[in-house]
Amino acid sequence: MADELGRWAEPGLLVLASLADGAKHGYAITTDVAAEVGVTLGPGTLYAALARLEERGLIEGLPAEGRRRPYRLTAAGAAELSAQATRMNKLAALSLGRLRPGTA
Amino acid sequence: MSGDARLVRALVACYPAGWRRRYGDEYAQLLRDLRIHRRPALIVDSLRGAVRAHGGVLMRNAAPMTVAVWAAGLFTVAGLGFAKLAEDFAGAGRTAYAMMVVTAGVALLALVAAAAPSGLALLRGRDRGALKYVAVPLAAVALWFGVLAVAVAISGKAGFLLLAVAGIGVVAATAWAAGTVLRRVPAERPPRLLPAALTTEATGMALATVAVLIWGLQVRSPGSQGFVATPFLPSWLGIVVALAAATVLAAVAGHRQLRATS
Repeated sequence: MADELGRWAEPGLLVLASLADGAKHGYAITTDVAAEVGVTLGPGTLYAALARLEERGLIEGLPAEGRRRPYRLTAAGAAELSAQATRMNKLAALSLGRLRPGTA
Repeated sequence: MSGDARLVRALVACYPAGWRRRYGDEYAQLLRDLRIHRRPALIVDSLRGAVRAHGGVLMRNAAPMTVAVWAAGLFTVAGLGFAKLAEDFAGAGRTAYAMMVVTAGVALLALVAAAAPSGLALLRGRDRGALKYVAVPLAAVALWFGVLAVAVAISGKAGFLLLAVAGIGVVAATAWAAGTVLRRVPAERPPRLLPAALTTEATGMALATVAVLIWGLQVRSPGSQGFVATPFLPSWLGIVVALAAATVLAAVAGHRQLRATS
């Protein structure tokens, strides 16, 4: 249910961004994403993203804490997040730069 | 057990077994943390996730014959939809209709030929435990007749919808049972003709899709029964899309079998 931000709220990217400041389990990721970005990640969407990211080696599961399993970014995940964020940053700068003269 | 715990168990049970072994416990905990019973939108999201997980397993890991069987199931549902739609246009697009019937027959016969060695092995009693799956389609059809009685009593759109959903359920149960039998009782020596049979299945489905496409265009042309002003267009398009999806699945099965054989 990554709805409000459209394609920029791609669940995998949101999960990577959430894990950038430390390991989190599923519920902590959903509350963090909801608080910081305003996007509600449904459980099915979240775990589809977690499974895909884990399969691609971008995150890894840590030993379970009770019934909750925290996940953390791998080096490859951090590199992927950095590359995506740089690309989005460039696009945001370009868009804002070009909109400013027209809207002024 | 509380209603919440039952709901959590049911939602987790919707996922494939391999997925549950890896993520089941932590996912159940997440559903409890989210108080899922109070949030219908999240229940729907969980169900969508389960469908995606099953689709992923089917596309990544399933044996070619399993994929071919599910392709045939989807093709059958679409074909029944086409038969129902064509009832209202008797005489129109005859050639395309005949082409659809013949190519659909070829596709399904190719699948029967591919599955025959497993069927024979089952009849010879190689795995007696697998025989119980033969009862699944029979039980499903019997159940469908029960639903038919209810649907007739309800009548109208709701009755038709109930009947259609039950029909899809019968086909899905049959495909599941056939896939299970084929997995449990594989052919002793995979027949050399298997890749050819699965390729024929995919080709037949592709031609049937084209035939339904042509049929729709021919039915459209007479004018007075033009489909723009009737519910024909969405039904026809839905059937074409379902047939095309079945063709893609069958092509995946054929490709996977060719790769395994070479």
